[in-house]
Amino acid sequence: MRWGTPVTLLAAALLPSALPDAFLLHLMTSVAIAAILALGLQFLLGVSGQLSLGQAAFYGVGAYGSALMTGAGLPFAAAVPLAAVFAGLSSLVLIPVTRLRGPYLAVATLGFSIIAYLVIKNEEWLTGGSLGLMGISRPALFGERLRDPAHVYWLCAALAALVYLGLRRLADSRFGRAAHAIRQDEDAARASGLRVTLIKSQCFVISAAVSGLAGALFAHHIRYLGPADFSFWKSVEVLIMVVIGGVGSAAGAILGAAVVVLLPEWLRAVGDYRLLVFGGAVVGLMLFGSGGLAGLPGALRRRPEARP
Amino acid sequence: MTPLLEARGIARRFGGLVALDAVDMQVAPGTVHGLIGPNGAGKTTFLNVIAGAFPPSGGSLRLEGGDITALAGDARARLGIRRTFQNLKLFPEMTALHNAAIGLHADGRAGVLSALLRLPAQRREEREIMARAAEALDFVGLAGQAGRLAGTLAYGHRRLLEIARAFAPRPKLLLLDEPAAGLNPTEAVALTALIARIREAGTTVILVEHHMDVVMTVCDRVTVLNYGKHLSTGTPAGIQADPRVIEAYLGQDALAEALAC
Repeated sequence: MRWGTPVTLLAAALLPSALPDAFLLHLMTSVAIAAILALGLQFLLGVSGQLSLGQAAFYGVGAYGSALMTGAGLPFAAAVPLAAVFAGLSSLVLIPVTRLRGPYLAVATLGFSIIAYLVIKNEEWLTGGSLGLMGISRPALFGERLRDPAHVYWLCAALAALVYLGLRRLADSRFGRAAHAIRQDEDAARASGLRVTLIKSQCFVISAAVSGLAGALFAHHIRYLGPADFSFWKSVEVLIMVVIGGVGSAAGAILGAAVVVLLPEWLRAVGDYRLLVFGGAVVGLMLFGSGGLAGLPGALRRRPEARP
Repeated sequence: MTPLLEARGIARRFGGLVALDAVDMQVAPGTVHGLIGPNGAGKTTFLNVIAGAFPPSGGSLRLEGGDITALAGDARARLGIRRTFQNLKLFPEMTALHNAAIGLHADGRAGVLSALLRLPAQRREEREIMARAAEALDFVGLAGQAGRLAGTLAYGHRRLLEIARAFAPRPKLLLLDEPAAGLNPTEAVALTALIARIREAGTTVILVEHHMDVVMTVCDRVTVLNYGKHLSTGTPAGIQADPRVIEAYLGQDALAEALAC
């Protein structure tokens, strides 16, 4: 397990040399971006216990933000982090709802997601409306446009790795412990002197900023934005990634992102039935236990023994 | 001498029910102050009002002379009022050590950025928090359980862990809500000694407890509530001899006997 992270990083870094296929690299770039998105929700749900169905909104703020800023002449390297910050700040409008718990919070964030979708779809002067934004610039580093799919892949994979390590550090810190404690018992957390609403809001901002980063990378990777990618279905997709990966496991979130992006591609062979098979696979995985993919080895090991 | 805690005319109504009716209480610093009374007398409600779990319907609270009536529970905790819960509220998915570390959260400063960058100051603070958390576990006798998840601890150990989490920051005032509930006689004796050591360490204690052995052994002063009203305050011996107290407990044979012994 100690070798898991370095081995995965090495494999991810060597992938373009091992399989120099443009479509595969395009897919793996999408996996890296989806992984960042899933890690953002993983932190919110797995560490602080807040269920958000509004991640598509922050993803959208990041995507359109970065596309518009680079369109206005800002360099990629400045626009992407700025878009992430902007997505984080946009979540501040949700501070009043962080007092809500469980399903109430989920529905409130879902409402936010629907509003964001409608804004993207209808504010044509800003977002291009249903036609979307076209001709978004390629990612660029040090003034050099990244034309090679391998370079774009490396950039996104490296950022996914940074987000993974950063959120792991955060979870394993004074701040992360406090968020984790609040998830388990708010009354006891308050009685220990924790500023519950502040910490929950900070988790929201962090999660939204990470989602915004994913959105910004998505914009420059696909280079076209339309409202369809930011509907509430996207929020659900992120939740599926986190849950099938295993709530509480950062590695699981990456695994879940890979499954949600890659499985429908592999299932193209079954044609129209692919989403049906995908849905069935999601249901089947849940039957194995709530640990998701990350909990699967343990669930299989326990299987022969008598279940409680 | 200024009392550590002074409650004046504390009232608390739940709808039409009067749980507390103009209760006065003064707690001297460095003492263990018992809070007893028949079931439903309002002991836990009073403790919740002191802790700030909910505001009083009337009256005022002063900590070391400063008015804290308007402060929320988390702010009072940061001022040095910590508590345990009658029905155990631990963080079951965290280790015993990390549970105690949450008690020390307010003493730390490291935020999101320093956690991301793992600056030397942040690492030093983490080491200090963990050392103090381990010390608190050791103080209550849980040094051997530091790495275990709180949810897997034996019942008696969970009670002790709650005390460790509340006592870790060396609070000015520690509110213990029936800490002996569910403990066997040996554990209750050990708990009595622990409360005495907490007092020696400089923390004032308010103890709500049904085990009269524990109350009479360790308390310096005892306040008796009955039907939400202050009935009597005095030394354990004085309380036991007070006819009003005996009358209040009359009909509750077990407790009346416990008081008489």
